[in-house]
Amino acid sequence: MGIRARRLSEKRRADTRRSSGGDTLASGLAVAALALLAGFISLPILSLIVWTVSEDSWRAMASPQAREALFLSMKTTGISLAILIVLGTPAAYLLARVDFPGNRALNALMDLPVVLPPSAAGIALLLAFGRFGLVGEYLNVFGVTLTFTTVAVVMAEVFVAAPFYVRQAATGFAEMDPDVEEAGLVDGAGRAGVFFRITLPLAFPALVAGALMAWARALGEFGATIIFAGNFPGVTQTIPLAIFANFQRDLDAAVALSVLVLGFAFTVMLTVRYLTRER
Amino acid sequence: MSFTCSRLIFSVLLLALLTNLSACGGSGEASDKTERKATLTVLAASSLTDAFGELADTFERENPGVEVKASYESSSTLLAQMQQGAPADVFAAADEAKMKAAVEENLVDGEPETFAKNREVIMVPKDNPASIEEFRDVAKPGVKLVLAEDEVPVAEYAKEILGKANEEYGGGFEEAVMSNIVSREADVRASVNRVALGDADATFGYTSDYTPILRDKVESVTIPADLNTIATYPIAQLKEANDPELARKWLDLVTSEKGQEVLERWGFEPAA
Repeated sequence: MGIRARRLSEKRRADTRRSSGGDTLASGLAVAALALLAGFISLPILSLIVWTVSEDSWRAMASPQAREALFLSMKTTGISLAILIVLGTPAAYLLARVDFPGNRALNALMDLPVVLPPSAAGIALLLAFGRFGLVGEYLNVFGVTLTFTTVAVVMAEVFVAAPFYVRQAATGFAEMDPDVEEAGLVDGAGRAGVFFRITLPLAFPALVAGALMAWARALGEFGATIIFAGNFPGVTQTIPLAIFANFQRDLDAAVALSVLVLGFAFTVMLTVRYLTRER
Repeated sequence: MSFTCSRLIFSVLLLALLTNLSACGGSGEASDKTERKATLTVLAASSLTDAFGELADTFERENPGVEVKASYESSSTLLAQMQQGAPADVFAAADEAKMKAAVEENLVDGEPETFAKNREVIMVPKDNPASIEEFRDVAKPGVKLVLAEDEVPVAEYAKEILGKANEEYGGGFEEAVMSNIVSREADVRASVNRVALGDADATFGYTSDYTPILRDKVESVTIPADLNTIATYPIAQLKEANDPELARKWLDLVTSEKGQEVLERWGFEPAA
C-alpha cells in the first residue's frame, strides 16, 4: 500500500503540473458538481432527522418491533459477512492470482448478482431452495426447509453482497507486487506463512474496504429477502422489511427505523475507518 | 490510467447513445398512436386482478381510443398511495374500512357503491403437506401459514373469522392459528402465490382467488358458513379524477349486468 500510495501521489503531482495552466472553469464546474451531489444526498437524510425531531417519533425507535428488526439485521449481516470473509478471501485470491481455465468465466459469474435486480435474485433463490426448488425438493425430503427462516435471510444477503467483497479483495490481491511474496519464499517462509504474514497484511486495506461495501449491501438488502425469506418480525423481518411494513401503517415508525439504520450504518462505517486508519 | 479513463468515457457515451436510441424508438411509437387520447387510471384491490383485467379489455373495446391503466395492490397500499397524492380516477377496495377512510380524507367524489361480494377460503398446495382437510386444521401445530399484512382486507376479515372461531372452538384456537404464521405478505395474491409455489402450507384467500390458472396447483378448503364473513367491495370515483366522465362510465360497466356477469365468472358474488 505504501508503494502504491507513493506512486499515486507522484502521479498526482505530475497531473497538477500538467494542468497548472489554471483551468479555473473546469475546477469551478467540478466544485459545482460536487456541491450539487452533496446537497442532493444530504437533503433527504436531513429530512429524516427533521421529521423525527418535529414529529417526536423517537419513541418508535424503542418499540419491540424496531429492536427486533435491528437485532435481526445485526445478526444476519454479521453472519453473512463472516461467511463472505471466510469463503470470499481464498476465492478472490484464486481469481486474482491463479490463471486457471475458466477463470474469466468465474470472474464474470461473481459479478452477476450486482447487475441482477434483487427481486430477480429472490425468485431465483426461491426456485433453487424453495420447497419445490431444484435443490429444495431434496432438502425437503430430509425435513430441511429454508424459506421463512433466518437462514434464508443470510443466504439472500450472501448472494447479493458476495460480489462486493470478492471484487475488492481480488483487486487488492491483483495489485500487490508479487516480488514481495517471492522474497518471503526465498527467505524460507512456507506458502501458507507467506499468505498469512505477507499477502494478507498487504491486501488488508482492500479487504476492509470490500467487507464494508459487502456489509452495507447486506444491510440494505430488501427484494431478495422479502421474496425468498418472507416477512415475519423477529425471524425474517430485517430493518428494510420493517420500514416497508410500517410505511402503510405507521409512518412515524417507518421514519424512526430509517433514522435508526442510518445511525447504525454510520457508526459502523466510522468505527471501521477509525480502527483501520493509516497510522 | 488514461486508457481505462477513455474506456470509461467510451462506455458512458455508448450507454447514452443506447438510451437515446430507445427513447427515440419510444417517441416514434407514441406518435403512431396519437389517436389514443384518454387514459382511465383504476386503483383496485389485488383480488380484482383477473375480473378487472377482463373488464378493462371490454371497456377499451367499447370506448375506442381509451386506455385503461390499472394498478392492483392491497386496498391498504392503494389507500396510502392516494393519501400521498397518487393520481387516479377510480378506487375499488376489498373492504368498507378502506373506502370509509378514503371518504373521510375527502378523496372520493359522490357516494361509493357496493359492486361485489366475496367469501374467504383456506388455500393449500395440491399435495397438501400439512394435511389440512377442514378449517379447524389450520390451528394444528407446525402448519406453515402465511397471511397478508395487518390492514390488508383479507387479513382483517381473517381476524374476524378467527374471533368467531375462537368462541366456537375455544381453547385458544385464534392464538394457535396466529402462532402458525411464518410470513406476512403484501396482499392476498402474494399469499396465495406462496401456497401455489408450495412454500407455505396454507393461507387465507378469497373464493375468487381460486382461479382456473391456479387450480392445478392449489386446493381450497371451505370455512364453515357460520364463521365466515362476507367481504364487501365498494367502488367510487375520485375527486382528483382526470376524466370524471370516463370514471363514471367505468363504474357503470362494473355495476351493469355485463360487468356483474364477468365478476361472477371470476368467483365473486353479486352485490345485491
